[in-house]
Amino acid sequence: MAAKTQASRFFNRELSWIAFNRRVLEEAKRPEKPLLERLKFLTIVSANFDEFYMVRMASLKRQVRAGNYTTCPSHMSPQSQLDACSRESKEIMSEQYRCLHEEILPGLAEQGLIYKDSYNQLSTDQKNYARTFFENQVFPLLTPVRVNKDAPSIPGANLRLQVAFLVVPASDSLLITEEEKGEHLAIVQVPQSLERICFLPDKEGQRTFILLESLLVQYGHTLFPGYEIKEHLVFRTTRDADFGVDETRDEDFVEAMEQVLTGREKSTAVRLNVGSTSTRLQELLQKSLSLDSTEVYDTPEPLELTSLMSLTFINGYDKLKFEGWSPMEPRGLPEDAPLWQTLRERDILLHHPFESFNPVIRMVEEAATDTAVLAIKMTLYRTSGNSPIVRALETAAHNGKQVTVLVELKARFDEQRNISWADRLEQAGVIVVYGIAQIKVHAKALLVIRQETTGICRYLHMATGNYNDKTAKLYTDMGLMTSREDLCYEAGLFFNAITGYSAIPSLNKLIMAPQGMKLRILELIDREAEKSIPENPGKIIAKFNSLADVDVIEALYRASSKGVEIELNIRGICMLVPGVKGQSENIRVTSIIDRYLEHTRAFYFKNGGDEELYLSSADWMPRNLERRVELLFPIEDPDLKERVKRSLTLCVDDRVQSYALESNGTYPRVKDSKGKGISSQRTRYELSRDTPTKRTPINQREFSVRRKPPLS
Amino acid sequence: MSKKLSQALDTSRPVAVIDVGSSAIRMVILEVSSDGRYKTLDRAQRPVRLGQDVFSDKVIQRQTISQAIQILAGFRELMNGWAILEPDVYTIATSAIREARNRDTFLDRVYMKTGLRIRVIEGVEENHLTFIAVQYAVESMQASFSRSNSLIIEVGGGSIELMVLKRGKMAATHSLKMGTIRIERQMVPRSGETSLPLEEYIREHFRVTMEGIQTETKLGTVRYFVMVGGDARIVAGHIGTKGGDTFWTLSRGDFLAFVQKIQAYTVDQIVKKLGVAYHEAEGLLPALMVHKVFLEETEAETIIIPNVSIREGVLLRYALGKDKKMNDQFISQVLSSARSLGKKFHFDEDHAELVSDLSMQIFDQLEVEHGMGKRERLFLQVAGLLHDIGYFVSASGHHKHGQYILMNSELFGLSRNDIKIVANLIRYHRNSKPNSTHLEFTTLARDERLMVLKLSGILRVADALDRSHTQHVKTIVLEIRDEDLVISTTCTGDLSMERYGIESKSELFEEVFGFRVVLEQKKFLGVQ
Repeated sequence: MAAKTQASRFFNRELSWIAFNRRVLEEAKRPEKPLLERLKFLTIVSANFDEFYMVRMASLKRQVRAGNYTTCPSHMSPQSQLDACSRESKEIMSEQYRCLHEEILPGLAEQGLIYKDSYNQLSTDQKNYARTFFENQVFPLLTPVRVNKDAPSIPGANLRLQVAFLVVPASDSLLITEEEKGEHLAIVQVPQSLERICFLPDKEGQRTFILLESLLVQYGHTLFPGYEIKEHLVFRTTRDADFGVDETRDEDFVEAMEQVLTGREKSTAVRLNVGSTSTRLQELLQKSLSLDSTEVYDTPEPLELTSLMSLTFINGYDKLKFEGWSPMEPRGLPEDAPLWQTLRERDILLHHPFESFNPVIRMVEEAATDTAVLAIKMTLYRTSGNSPIVRALETAAHNGKQVTVLVELKARFDEQRNISWADRLEQAGVIVVYGIAQIKVHAKALLVIRQETTGICRYLHMATGNYNDKTAKLYTDMGLMTSREDLCYEAGLFFNAITGYSAIPSLNKLIMAPQGMKLRILELIDREAEKSIPENPGKIIAKFNSLADVDVIEALYRASSKGVEIELNIRGICMLVPGVKGQSENIRVTSIIDRYLEHTRAFYFKNGGDEELYLSSADWMPRNLERRVELLFPIEDPDLKERVKRSLTLCVDDRVQSYALESNGTYPRVKDSKGKGISSQRTRYELSRDTPTKRTPINQREFSVRRKPPLS
Repeated sequence: MSKKLSQALDTSRPVAVIDVGSSAIRMVILEVSSDGRYKTLDRAQRPVRLGQDVFSDKVIQRQTISQAIQILAGFRELMNGWAILEPDVYTIATSAIREARNRDTFLDRVYMKTGLRIRVIEGVEENHLTFIAVQYAVESMQASFSRSNSLIIEVGGGSIELMVLKRGKMAATHSLKMGTIRIERQMVPRSGETSLPLEEYIREHFRVTMEGIQTETKLGTVRYFVMVGGDARIVAGHIGTKGGDTFWTLSRGDFLAFVQKIQAYTVDQIVKKLGVAYHEAEGLLPALMVHKVFLEETEAETIIIPNVSIREGVLLRYALGKDKKMNDQFISQVLSSARSLGKKFHFDEDHAELVSDLSMQIFDQLEVEHGMGKRERLFLQVAGLLHDIGYFVSASGHHKHGQYILMNSELFGLSRNDIKIVANLIRYHRNSKPNSTHLEFTTLARDERLMVLKLSGILRVADALDRSHTQHVKTIVLEIRDEDLVISTTCTGDLSMERYGIESKSELFEEVFGFRVVLEQKKFLGVQ
């Protein structure tokens, strides 16, 4: 009995993640959606899996090697998780390719966007073009690497397409010496600097493309004069990227981080995707990468889907894409009034991407050139390449402001980029803090300190998403701009702690992880349970990306059993099992998959009628609550509270893009029985668009104010 | 600097106060406005084991020095973001640095690396700064304070500061070298010993001290128990009731219950459950135990926890000049503390008050001659009150006993050096004049030696004027006639004792001021 209860208490984290990726695939399969958008979802499935294998599967594999001890709350051993994940992901992959080959590609061809999977299918014109293109553009970039065919060491090249060629001297070759006779193995990497999609000349209204690797296979023999290609195989390896930096190296941390990046290229392989052209080469690669057969994925063409994403950006074909939704100018933030003045009058809530991210950029840019600004403090976790924010920070430092930036070097897969900005900023005179030992700084905060005639005044922005103007157009996030003294003061203390000036302070308004946030979340949930009575049941609406913290889940179960109505809107992983009698019958879990990646972390607690609303940078996972620096902050302005609450309600009421988790772990799409249900992203967009005061979408280009600083 | 900025500075400016304490270095940045109010803009603190080093080995370890410098350099950088002007940076150090044998090296290295000049303050000044801050914080309760007795206690890492106020007036101050770090160090059981539970240990530890304090000041009558310090503020943050922006109140019962609750916690649990930093959690329980042990000596039902620290005291005293404004009040607190000490040693109160008063009359009327100021005046006034406390030991050599007693006592508002000066005045209120073999005298600075000569000259004359201890001479008028200083009094009684006194005790005065002292009895006072 106990064992049985235990088993249905938590879902396995990895399988729950796979269920998320399955939902993404579901969106690709919806016939009513535009074709290129469906293709985009298909490519996202692949990109998601890439990261999942590099991080999660790699970690499971290591756990198996370390003794296969079961630590997972769902009581699955690492080996059985590994088996289940690999089984399920293969299943998803085959469904993904089925959808691609049977629905998407034929559909695109009908619309004049034609994929040719082999050279032989091309017309003579196209072949001639392809040949010239290969000789002039591709060939110079190729570097075949000869490897020992009996014990080959495969070049690192994590996630890159490579082609293995088994060559023998041509029968008519006279130049081959004795020891060069026999078979040789060479590996060629498909150049990354070129677009993988190669468009060919075509008749009007039609576009035909072939993939770079097909050309490479076709003309591969030109790389080996005097030899003949006996066999070839296109393949792609995925390697373990889940290993940390040496945290003891404080002095040369940047260098240590760079070593991690090099290491990632050479680490253990966890997956091998191969085509079907050579069993012999496949076995050779598998053996040399020490993979077992479950880790080898026979993959249809095209072997890699993520780079097909660029098809969705080509011009024209608008009817194959979603209608564009321009980001709106946020409410109550007139562009012509000084930002500081507006913020002294009221708090501003920003809901991206429905509302523009420009005000955030504007805040940094205005601060950079404003003579009254003394200092700017900011966290940067992920930001875009050539980020306007980074440029503004440089300007600020040049203008003599004290600029302090915490750049998280450990932001996974963004390390290299972060090292390069950090360097740029440091050269500009910014005080750069390269993160904190052992933990990542994931909180998003920006503090501007101004010396005004009435004294010091501070302006604060905190958000659920990164300071990245690119992803702010793709991810739903919320941010708060405020000049509230208590919040600004505590944000200052927060910065003092994360920049090493101070020990960790105790805060009242802001809640910080790893100190206190988990405790506070548990308190908030327990308080809801305590205040819940049948006549006035408690209510929690929480929206975030992953739920994996066992203590939080148990607290939610406790609250459910006290009659608290709990609505969880979780994009990804959810280890909580909803709808189980006596455990979670009052908990409903839904998940939205739509054109924008849901990324907002927002929380509503009824608190007996004295409602509280919070935003946060943290998900409810042990890694966020215990091993990262995160912020949870209250929304106190009554109007803004109402807006956040409304947005939360819209999300849980979504009937178009929503999936509901059942107690068996499946996520059927929420039925829209009358066909009138709302799509929360559409409604949120319409709300920002139709706000009476602001109708004009603002220019989507970034703007950079060039003017003399205002005179007093 | 832009015009805008300088305009802003007229109305308000940021000030940084750094306090190098025994368990941490703390900084607070305050915005001071021209009306004398302030607002906290920023704060930072980092733990550093200065106290651990000094209280065990007397010296600050090399590594600890580097750590402290690193922290201070960080503070310096943080300060730069606030555009604080150099004169607005105040850096003080308390017991750990004060007692460190290598303190000069430490101070110099800090200055060379960070440009920060640290002022090492004494226990008594620490007391005084805390008092200023507390007064500011509980201003709205001043009326209640002046009606009843209160105890201000600050438990630090290296010392415990106690101030007993009777009806708002300073009755006694104690600076005990018994901070939480010292307690922790001594608690570590030596081999073969088992350690006492913390509470028993602390009780035992304070038994003798407490008896001493009790004889001087009856703690039983204390109504308000004022707890100062970071540990107290942690408690207040959890269970206190806000009494305005600057202090919390708390009932005795709630406090004791809270202490009992956290007694069961480990340091890790304190960190988790109270959401405090590790270094704060470490000292919390010992500190609260000390508070508890003292609280239980009183009948106080109300605990007041001001949201201030010595740093605000520094701000108020140095940056806002609150000290000047409170000068009269400060003097009366010092005198009240001196009177308490006098009572403790059973002084002849009437005689003491009169000598003190007569000294003042002489001092004030001779201002042009001696050119001394308020500080010296206060020393003389205190010395007048305490000049005979040596009688407590024995009449013979009572001037020496008095000096010894004072050197080993504390007076509110007076530094160790100040006390040394006053003790010298007591020493020289009779018998031999200072000479080069008197160590306590020769170790004073040159101008201080001169001050002692002048002031003890006056004190001798004042004492002589009540030689009979009968308080005949109350009001005097001084007049300089050629080489003579004529002291006139309307007193008609027998002043032979006083005349004799003047003859035998005015020699020093004559040497210092160059006047022969003459006593005259008159019907009416006034220069003819």
